Amino acid sequence: MEGSSVFLLCLTASSGVPLYCRSKRSSRQLTFSVIGSLNGVHMFANNQDVLLTSTRTENSRVLWRTFHESINLIVMSCDSNASDHSLNRLLENVFSTMVLVIGLDDLMNIKNVERLKKDLRACYKLIDSFLTESEKIGDLTQCVDCVISNDSVILQECLDGFTQAAESEFGCLLIGGKVVVATEKWWRLASLDAMLLCWLVSSLSPHSSRDYPVYLPQGSPTVPHRLLTFQLVPGVDVCILCGPSPSLQKVELELVERFWKPVLDPVKSCLRLQLRSFPISLNLHQGILGFLLINRDLNKSLYTVQVHPFEDTQRSDIKCILEHRRASLRSFYTLTMLRYFSPEHHDGKIQYEEAFPEGFTHQAHQCYVVSSSHKCYATKTDLHFLFLLFKTNVPTFSMRAIANKTMQVFTKEFNF
Amino acid sequence: MHQASFPKPGSLIIPDWHQNAEGGEYLSCILRKRKRRMFGLIEQPVLPPQLPFDIASYKIFVCGKSGVGKTALISKLCGLEVPSVHHETTGIQTSRVYWPVRPRDSQRPVIFCFQLWDCGESALKKFDHILLACKEKADAVLFLFSFTDRSSFEDVPALISRTLSQDEDPARVVIGTRFDQFMHTDVTDQDVGLFQQTWQLPVMRVRSVNGPRLSDGISLDGRIELLDAAPVLNGLAEILWHRDQITAGLLASDV
Ligand SMILES: Nc1nc2c(ncn2[C@@H]2O[C@H](COP(=O)(O)OP(=O)(O)O)[C@@H](O)[C@H]2O)c(=O)[nH]1
Ligand SMILES: [Mg+2]
Repeated sequence: MEGSSVFLLCLTASSGVPLYCRSKRSSRQLTFSVIGSLNGVHMFANNQDVLLTSTRTENSRVLWRTFHESINLIVMSCDSNASDHSLNRLLENVFSTMVLVIGLDDLMNIKNVERLKKDLRACYKLIDSFLTESEKIGDLTQCVDCVISNDSVILQECLDGFTQAAESEFGCLLIGGKVVVATEKWWRLASLDAMLLCWLVSSLSPHSSRDYPVYLPQGSPTVPHRLLTFQLVPGVDVCILCGPSPSLQKVELELVERFWKPVLDPVKSCLRLQLRSFPISLNLHQGILGFLLINRDLNKSLYTVQVHPFEDTQRSDIKCILEHRRASLRSFYTLTMLRYFSPEHHDGKIQYEEAFPEGFTHQAHQCYVVSSSHKCYATKTDLHFLFLLFKTNVPTFSMRAIANKTMQVFTKEFNF
Repeated sequence: MHQASFPKPGSLIIPDWHQNAEGGEYLSCILRKRKRRMFGLIEQPVLPPQLPFDIASYKIFVCGKSGVGKTALISKLCGLEVPSVHHETTGIQTSRVYWPVRPRDSQRPVIFCFQLWDCGESALKKFDHILLACKEKADAVLFLFSFTDRSSFEDVPALISRTLSQDEDPARVVIGTRFDQFMHTDVTDQDVGLFQQTWQLPVMRVRSVNGPRLSDGISLDGRIELLDAAPVLNGLAEILWHRDQITAGLLASDV
């Protein structure tokens, strides 16, 4: 397998018929015999009452997962940054995507495999975005990626009015799949469902409006709802989730202009938030390269690796640098969450991956990592997680103070 | 007014207007650099004050069996990438296309705003509200067949009666797709001529394939895409203009 390629396979669990195969960074297709062997070894184990979940070779990892005894997903990754945790998330996201588009019933009772194969093509764009996405991190956190706008008060007002006029309670304003504002009820959707809807909209090819049937994997996996989307300006969509009424036409003709034309300028200025995720007017410490802030109650996150965009644009190798920053922040997040912040609970007892914390009755609230290219610092409060990526010249002892200050800015001043 | 006649191409509008100096200036409002300019729902084309214009909006429902080329045609008209792998469109998607036209009888140019409604067949079958939503207040319905699939051509009259009831009265336009695949064509010029005579409906021929790329190797050349799309856009504009004039009593419907 090449460099950092990833292959994703989907098969029926009962007969092992391949349903689709997607890949990242690879021009090659997996041969039928490789697909057969990958599925065969899982099936063989199954027949021996052994559940095969993952394996590793020197340069790759393979994970298997069966959903509802009906669908098998297999991922094979040569990406050195991948972990079992991140690949498991990928498989969950991919299956949830299939539910979102097809509905759980048709996935659990497969009547016509050829028909299902055809229908599944409608999932490819969203699945591919989980394989390749870089600007968002909801695939890993299963939280909703957000941006902070200076105009959020007026945009929120418009959105609330618009959503209500469209007979719905679930509305959000999206830029490139990140939420600018959303209605109160939207934040009460299961976080996986809300995340998927945002990713869905940003993965589809641009359209003026859509009336898209969606099954919510957590909230309503067998009964479809309607997702209506309206492109206010290219790159900015307003979405509502609703039942049988109102018609797309009615909302588009009677409500979109009425509510949104008066705020054309604030809507357009959202486009400038895309990379940094928060306004240029807000200055953060010079040593911060990127961060991830999670609101644990609303399951929303703020994520960027371009805290100082002007500084960055002058560098020629910027693409590589950003990719490296993203990879570092993602691994640090995974490490911290699994080992220190919210390890899995089994029978009421916390299971740590290493022996050290088991000797203590309390849990870690802060942690840091120092490497040759970056420093990372994480802190946890009742309501938030904050993960920071620093330049190496930032003194290790000062990271806590900077973290606390950054947390203050976003949670107190911007109410995130 | 059912089966009202359709205008002879070029009789109501100047067909190659966008290639002369005046038309070229108007055309620039739907281009940005060499790419097609896209507009959201709360925007519209802007022109300097010395270039006055009116805007006329029309809802157009595009129908035809799965895989016939509905989504590809709409992408082509929008100047967007034509998808190479077919998957059925999920639910309804709409696209707005702006197109400046010079009607012969109008004081100033008119920018047509076509709101193209596209939906997948399984959505139509699964959810009752979808067909109704697509037809609701439509000004025109495009019935697509494929030149490489004779059965789709023979099914057009049935498709029309399945889609529209007697009292529904949008303009009806028949469009043959895959006209580029003449090696595999299954429908002859003669067939089309006969059809046109029998049903008194306009028939257009399209090839929805991506044109050349700009020097970045990725973006489509907006100007060339527009020239490719011009005959269909002009054709639709003329049919809708004609229909408006009959409705307004300015033109007799000369059946
Ligand atoms: N060569 C050629 N291919 C076409 C044409 N129209 C559609 N196609 C292809 O046919 C397939 C199905 O088209 P699509 O528009 O998605 O079908 P529909 O939306 O289900 O009606 C796509 O892969 C298109 O690229 C055409 O005019 N010429
Ligand atoms: Mg389609």
